[in-house]
Amino acid sequence: MLREPLLTISDLTKDYPAVRAVDHLSLTINRGEVHGIIGENGAGKSTLMKMLSGLERPTTGSITFAGRPLHLRTAADAMRAGIAMIHQELNLIGELSVADNIFLGRERTTAGLVDHGATETAALKLLNQLGSSIPPRTRVKRLSIAEAQLVEVAKALSCEARLLIMDEPTAVLSERETVALFRVMNQLRLQGVTIIYISHILPEVRKLCDRITVLRDGKFVQTVEPREASESDLAKLMVGRDLGDLYPKRGVHRSEKVLEVRNVFVEGFVRGAGLDLHRGEIVGLAGLVGSGRTEFAEAIAGLRRRRSGSVSVKGAPVRLRHPLDAVRCGLAYLSEDRKERGLHLDLSVVENSTLANLRAYGRILLRRRARIKAAQSHAARLGTRLRHVGQRVASLSGGNQQKVALAKWLDTRPEILLLDEPTRGVDIGAKQEIYQLIHALAAEGRAILLISSEMPELLGLCHRILVMRQGRIVGALAGERATEGDIMHLAAGLRESRVA
Amino acid sequence: MIQDKANTPAAARFHWSDFFETWGGLMALVGLAAFCALFPGTREHFLNPENIRNIIHQNAFIGIIAVGMTFVIISGGIDLSVGSMAALIGGLSILAMNKVIGLTETPVGVYPPIKYLIGANLSEGLGVVCACAVAPPIGIALGLLNGVLITKGRIAPFIVTLGGFAGYRSIILAIADGGEVRSSSFNLFEAMSSPRHGIPLPGYQAGERLVELNITWPIVVFLLIAIAAQIALSHTRFGRYVIAVGSNETAARYSAISVDRVRIIAYALIGLCTGIAALLLASRLNSVGASNTGNLFELDAIAAVVIGGTRLSGGRGRIWGTVCGVLILGMIDNMLLLAEVSAYWQGLVKAGVILLAVLLQRSRAL
Repeated sequence: MLREPLLTISDLTKDYPAVRAVDHLSLTINRGEVHGIIGENGAGKSTLMKMLSGLERPTTGSITFAGRPLHLRTAADAMRAGIAMIHQELNLIGELSVADNIFLGRERTTAGLVDHGATETAALKLLNQLGSSIPPRTRVKRLSIAEAQLVEVAKALSCEARLLIMDEPTAVLSERETVALFRVMNQLRLQGVTIIYISHILPEVRKLCDRITVLRDGKFVQTVEPREASESDLAKLMVGRDLGDLYPKRGVHRSEKVLEVRNVFVEGFVRGAGLDLHRGEIVGLAGLVGSGRTEFAEAIAGLRRRRSGSVSVKGAPVRLRHPLDAVRCGLAYLSEDRKERGLHLDLSVVENSTLANLRAYGRILLRRRARIKAAQSHAARLGTRLRHVGQRVASLSGGNQQKVALAKWLDTRPEILLLDEPTRGVDIGAKQEIYQLIHALAAEGRAILLISSEMPELLGLCHRILVMRQGRIVGALAGERATEGDIMHLAAGLRESRVA
Repeated sequence: MIQDKANTPAAARFHWSDFFETWGGLMALVGLAAFCALFPGTREHFLNPENIRNIIHQNAFIGIIAVGMTFVIISGGIDLSVGSMAALIGGLSILAMNKVIGLTETPVGVYPPIKYLIGANLSEGLGVVCACAVAPPIGIALGLLNGVLITKGRIAPFIVTLGGFAGYRSIILAIADGGEVRSSSFNLFEAMSSPRHGIPLPGYQAGERLVELNITWPIVVFLLIAIAAQIALSHTRFGRYVIAVGSNETAARYSAISVDRVRIIAYALIGLCTGIAALLLASRLNSVGASNTGNLFELDAIAAVVIGGTRLSGGRGRIWGTVCGVLILGMIDNMLLLAEVSAYWQGLVKAGVILLAVLLQRSRAL
């Protein structure tokens, strides 16, 4: 492929009053390449992307796009220049059709009226180009996240975007959807569209990208080709230090059973699932998106109505009909959806850290000091980076937010932790800290159920791995001997195994 | 703890909007008071202690309701029924009082001898005690009804309380046959919210005249309720739950908070506040007008809450802000009255103040 630069960033700096978010950054993106940008949270990725999509203006430095200097004032300027950004949170209007969304703001009209026929034909053409069979008349709210993402891509193409910036598009996708998205991206590359791809998931970046740029502390570290650098090389470049072994050594667990779940049914999601957890044990729960893992855990935690099923904690049967019942039994469920369900982004770190356990801080009047102290000690234990515990959680990075969410549940002193995707959207440094924490919690004698879509995580941490498919536990694997292939086979239904 | 560079910028910057968000209500109150004290049309009478006492006294009734409204709004709800509810509760408590007075005073009752056992004053006293005993529970009951319909019935708060707004008014109109419910207490009931009773302040000399002022009972009740409410909001479990529910209901449910219970209690609380306000309001005129008592109270209460810096969509707010809001609204009326501006202009001035307050306090995040 011809190595002709499309975008040249030279000596770009962005200062905020207290911090330099991007520091004398120079970078070249070639025409028609998929260029991965990786870095820990706070490395300056999002600030850089904001400058490229017209949301922020650089303090100093220049950007050249397609041979001409680029001066963006608004997001609309970027659009006009041919730069489209696909955000993690999609910007589509649920009530409108796919076609109307694609041409939103640029409606095809005849005699001043919207020409639905022409709009739909044009939309269909774009979607076909992407290899998608979504009918253009479907309302967007009926689409899956993966389909909605494609609609965003189609929208970008309809503006004749030459540079597509994708911010962690696969974080919300299942395995199969990710594969489909990569196919689309490869196709776009062949059509000459240049893509900047931001992600935390190193294997994906290596598989997809032509070149990978690592940022750290707002500075350019290195641009490498995937074959030159292994995942651990990339991780090292991102963190700037040797991570050592990502996963702590597995501890031994005791035989005392603390949780016994049998035959749980949840309408539409879970069809007779059960499991056992022992003191000090880390059990993984694998499965594709939609296999009912989250619903199963939520049913155990009293967050979802069960049609049947029994739960015993330490040998005694318990009724869990309200989340509070679960908390009282020493059971805590960390939600996969940190922003909507796991945290009150608007409230402070103290407020969030102690919210699930306010009963412990006074019968009538709450002891403020004690709450602050508790929040501080959790932050210290989890290594949460914050200025003070009165800070709003929204102002923390993803990894630190997740630590606050964890703190909330640790504050209830649970014996059983159901952790649903605890490392989703978390940078590699924080990830390692969370692994250490999970390990330490198990070593203290707590039982842990780790629900995760990241197979290396399950293989690296768990004593046992249960695989779920279509609402049932279809297999149990020993953590030390299992492989990704074993899990995938069970999860995709290619092989049945003995039920746990 | 380690400094996180990436998070410092947005939070470390000084923003006027942050400043106004916190202190805007108080500043507006002080600013308006200063204006009233200096403006030629009003300065003569405004700073007069009696005038200030009267402003607080006259607005204590709405103030008590606004305190309850603050909880409801922070929890993410709204209550439009409070004005009608106040009229209904006021009317019912007067009826209850009259019944007791009638039973114990006239020979028509079931126990005529009671009249001879107790004097007329005691009879009136029993009546007033009865009124005081029925108003708050009725308020709580009506508030619970609103809360249960909203949470268990899953009907939007706006709709449920709009129903209450129309329904309660209609009941009291039917009871009073469109007129008014008059109390048969001579003066004891009235004494509860008369400017002539209350906690006496040291008298002062105004020219020839010795003025003796009382902190009236409505003022006392208003302040006590406001203080208790502010403590409840910031220092009790319920208060923190109200904020959590209003800020993100789903996350609250996932944090093992009984969301429905919190919301129901918030409506029960505003019911209680309305009950207390209704009682004082009924005693103020010694009667309840079925068509006009409590009219538009809901809007004034909501306005006071919003001026005080509570977010209308919930999740953030403060009681002392609401108290400032109530006083600001009261001062506007007073100022226009003293400046001899036609009462018809009051609405426009209030509208301006509400918009200005919200404009200054709007959050950067929006």
